[in-house]
This record gives sequence, structure tokens and C-alpha cells, in this order.
Amino acid sequence: MALDRLLNVARKEFSDHITSRRFVIILGLLLVISAIGMHSGIGNYNNMLESYNQQLQHMQEVDVDGPYAGWMPEKPSIMLIFNAMMSYMTTLGAVLAIAIGFDLVSKEKETRSLKSLLSHPVYRDEIINGKALGGIAALGFAMVLALAISLAMLLLFSIVPTLEEFAAILIFGAVSLGFLLAYFAIALTMSTVSRESGNALIYTLVIFFTVSTLLPVLGAMAGDALAGDRPEPPQSAPMPTPVGRTVTGTASGGYFTTSVSKAVVHGGEVEVDPEWQQYEEDVKAYTEKRMLINDVSNLLSPQMNYFKAAMAVTNPRIAVMMNSPYSSPPMSQETPGLAEALGKVWMNIAALIVFPSAFFAAAYVKFMRMDIR
Amino acid sequence: MIRTENLTKVYNGKTAVDGLDLTVGEGEIFGFLGPNGAGKSTTILMLTGMIEPTGGRCLVDGIEVAKDPLAVKKIIGYLPEDVGFYGNLTGEQNLDYFARFYGMDARERKERIAELLELVHLDGVTQKAGEYSRGMKQRLGLAQALINDPRVLFLDEPTANLDPEGVREYRELVERLAGEGKTIFVSSHILSEVREVCRTVGLLAKGRLVAQGTLEEVARALASPDGDAVRIVVETREHLPDIEDPEIIAVERNGNRAVIRATTDIRDRLAASLFEQGMHVREMRVEEPDIEDVFMAVYRR
Repeated sequence: MALDRLLNVARKEFSDHITSRRFVIILGLLLVISAIGMHSGIGNYNNMLESYNQQLQHMQEVDVDGPYAGWMPEKPSIMLIFNAMMSYMTTLGAVLAIAIGFDLVSKEKETRSLKSLLSHPVYRDEIINGKALGGIAALGFAMVLALAISLAMLLLFSIVPTLEEFAAILIFGAVSLGFLLAYFAIALTMSTVSRESGNALIYTLVIFFTVSTLLPVLGAMAGDALAGDRPEPPQSAPMPTPVGRTVTGTASGGYFTTSVSKAVVHGGEVEVDPEWQQYEEDVKAYTEKRMLINDVSNLLSPQMNYFKAAMAVTNPRIAVMMNSPYSSPPMSQETPGLAEALGKVWMNIAALIVFPSAFFAAAYVKFMRMDIR
Repeated sequence: MIRTENLTKVYNGKTAVDGLDLTVGEGEIFGFLGPNGAGKSTTILMLTGMIEPTGGRCLVDGIEVAKDPLAVKKIIGYLPEDVGFYGNLTGEQNLDYFARFYGMDARERKERIAELLELVHLDGVTQKAGEYSRGMKQRLGLAQALINDPRVLFLDEPTANLDPEGVREYRELVERLAGEGKTIFVSSHILSEVREVCRTVGLLAKGRLVAQGTLEEVARALASPDGDAVRIVVETREHLPDIEDPEIIAVERNGNRAVIRATTDIRDRLAASLFEQGMHVREMRVEEPDIEDVFMAVYRR
């Protein structure tokens, strides 16, 4: 495969995308809505920051022996602002990715330009790879634009990201691009399989709704069905207190937590009720089993993978808690680092890479074998 | 310049091209005739390296197409039937995109494209190819087939969408290109079109080559069950005597008129014999089969 021929195809495809009305309209809409979301997110962030500063001030005034003596408010992260962008990315971003991919090959078949193209010295793999590369570049361009606007807005509101936050923004962009590529790859594959662009779009939308909506529901149903019945609390024992960790968010982003095992107090001595302890273990096993089934089925959903991976970047504490509610130390500890949070969602990140790769491979094989009569 | 050896293509169990053996010499204008569905376009797709044969092989300028399609594509030009372009680009931009695959630099591309657009009368046309008429697309198709100044040109139904003026210009262009030494392979189901420009033809029916040669040779071969038999019409003033010649296959007599089928043209010997016998010859000619009728008969098979 010669790079110059591949790049010739990619350059033309990229140019076609970024100058197409369809791309410009959807990207414009995505950017405008994201900017509005960012604006509102910045407002919330400023409120949290204000609350944080007030709490800090308050902490200096409280009694050193008081109940809040060991508690420190948590400084809000600017990554929380990107939560808004996450939700738009899963809808409009997916639409953008589908819009640029669903007729990439089928349109060439319809207009017969593919035959003209193939009559020139270029291999088929260079064409399909060039098309994929051009699409990826266009989506990358859209992502860079979205992040640039976000950064510009942050700076406009005098919010300067730290180096770590800047790295997190870049990782958020990479994860978002991975999500967009998943739907672009599906659309490209359907475009290669279908003779007509209309059919390619319909097939893509069917897959989109299946993996984004139906699959998580089916996963939850499968989890319910396969995990069995939820354990019943012991009847003989006294009224239980909530089992599991309770997390309470504060306005500033700080958290209070309570520990899991609840002791039953008899005559001043702390004694663990074995029935309740057993119940607690059963619930834990039940929940973990359900989560496992759910997580496995959700690996096929780019939305869910993106949600988890992006959440690990924008809100590592929640991400860690969501992924392992029983295994981590009490939540009163420091916020987990970005690396730790990403480590917890490595399977989702891997799925975000494997999913588009599988569809790109399918598009490649089909294109190479395509009948061009 | 073009050679196929037992070239075969099977699609889903159906044979589209069946053991085709064909040879086209350098500088020839070769007409590839046959009814729709005979396998002409499939043959061209194999010759241009766009599909691989199921069996046999084809060579262009000594290069086996299936083994090195890119090398072949560099020396050929191809105008597909119902040619298509990128509707969002102008004719010039379409040609520029294709020209880049030949490693031409910017200046070279610009000059070549300007030259070709002028040749096909599309210079100064600024509209996008998506707004072109079919005739304009066909002309742009011819320009894209010539972008690399090819040595061999494959034209599939080249006049299908052209108006009479366009057809005339196309014929002149083909003659000119042939004059430059290019080999031109014209595929068509329209006999009159091939007749106008081609020096040799091959007739394809149901994926098989029925005949190859000049139009007259092909027509004669197809018209006579004896292959190359010559039909000589003779008429004398007197009653025709018995005619004997080792080359004669059969004689159909009708008074002072006869139609003689012979393996070769024996008119000289025949005239001498009749003269010796004191006959007055009113007419003696080789009867050419009606090409249209012969081809139509093959098309209907």
C-alpha cells in the first residue's frame, strides 16, 4: 500500500466531509449546544467553587474537637463542566458520526464514481482505508474544535486548567473520539454492505438503537434473571440500618460517607449479628453478580462504555464508586486519581477500541470482496 | 498489445465469460461487439484489472493483469459504461483527484487537465459534475480515461449518451488517438458505431468469442455454415453450362444465373472458363453477406 495514494483518498474524503452541508450543520449544532451546556456547567462550577471557599473559611472557624474536625471539603474539578458535553456527545456526536459514514461507499456505488476511481492505479484497500482515515480525521477535527471552544470558554471565564486538568481534557477528547468512531465504523460498514444509502442509514440506525437503548435494558433484564432473587433481610433480628455505603455529595463536591457493617448494640458491647453479617455478604454477592452480567452486556454498547470511561475522567470518585462499590476503601478518603479511575474502566476503554476496530475490519473485508459490476 | 488466454469469469455459478481467446494488435481500433449480457463489460473489467478472472489470464502490453493490476492501470485508460463522478466536485477537480494517482506534479496536472477539458469541450464549465448532463459526463469520462496519456484505451459503450455532434467528435478523436499509435478497444452492442471506427472486431455471444477479424471476414464467417466460403453470383446471356472447379462447394442454378459457393474467390478462373466456352458474362460478383442481418442473427441466438 502506497502512502501517497492512501493520503490522496483520505485528503479528498476529509475535504468532502468538512465542506459538506450535512457535516457543517450537525457540527455547528453540536458546538452551539455544547457551548450552552459548558456555559451552564461553568456557572455551576463557580457556585461550587464559591461554596468550597466558604466551607474552607468555615473550617478555620470550627472547633478542633468538633464532629467536623477531620473533614475537609473537596475542591471542585473543572472536569465537572465537561459532564454537559458528555451527554450531547452521546446523541448529537453519534448523529454526526453516522451522518458522515452512512453513504461513504454506497453513494459511490449509486453514482458509479467507484468504478471510475478503481480504473485508476489505486488498490481497493487504499480506498477503504483512505475513506476511514478521512472520516476519522473529520471527526478528530470536530473533536478538536469542540475542545478548543471549551477551553476558550474556560479561559473567557478566567478558569485556567492545571496541567493535570489539561491532560484530563485531552483524555476526555480521546475517549469522546473513540465513541464517535464506534458509530462512524458502524455506518461505514453498513454503507459497504448496502447497495443504497437509504438502506445503509436504516441499518445503522437499527444498530444504533439496539446497542444504545435495547442492549442496556436487555443486560439489566439478564442481570435480574441470572442473578436470582434478591436476598431477604433476616426476620428475627432488630430493624436493620442501611447496608452498603451511603454517599452524600455536598455542594462543593465533598462527600460524607458511612461505613457498611452495622453493629447491633447489646448492653454497651458492640456485637456483630451473624444473621445480618450473612445477609450483608449475600447482598454483596448478589449485587456483584448482577453488576457483572450487566457490565458484560454493556461492553457491547458504545454509549455505556463511553459513559463509564468519560465519567472516570470527569468525575473519578463517582466512576470508582460505580465500578466497585464494595471493594474500595471508605469514601472519606481522597478523591481517586485519574489513573486509578481509568484503571477501573479499562475494559470499557478497551471495548471503545475493539468495537470500531471490529466494524472497520468488517467494512474492509466486504469492500475488498465487493462486486463492482 | 491485448491478449486473453482461456479467460473465464463465473459469477455465482453463472459463466459470464467462457474461455475467451482474443488478440488485439498494437495501434488497432478493435470493436468488441455483442448483445447486452454477452460478457463484454465483464471482459473489460478483467482487462482493466478491476476484477479477477475465475480462470485463464489476460495480458496488456505483456503484463499479466491479475498479477500486476496497478502496472496495467498506469498504461491504460478506461471509460466505463454510464460513467460516474463526484457530484460535489467540478470536472476539473474530479480530473485532478484522478491525476494525483499517477504521481503527476501540480503543474503537470494543471496543464494536462486544461488540455483535456478543451479537447472534450468542457473548458470553462464551472458547474459541479453532479449538475452535468449525461452527455457532459460522457465527455468528462473520456477526459478522465485520457488523463495519463494511456497506450491502451478501453471504451465501454462510448457513444451511449452522446448527441450526434458528440458522436462525430468522438469518432474524430478515436481516429486521432489511433494515429498516435494508441490501441483502442471499443465495446459496443451497436454495430453501426463499431463499423464507423473499428478496423477489426470480435463478436461475443453468451461469454464466448464467436468470430474475430475485419467486419467483412466476421460477417462472412458467420453467414456461411462453411466458415470462410465465398458466394459468387454469376449471370450470362446464354444458359449457364456446367461449372467445374476443385474449389467449388456447391452451385445453385437458376437458368442463366447461378450462385456458386467456393472455398476461395475463383472469379478469375470462372471468367476465363466461361469465356472459353463462348459465354457472355452479364454479371459476376462476390456476394457479401448483409452484416446487419448476420449480426442480428447472432444477437438473437
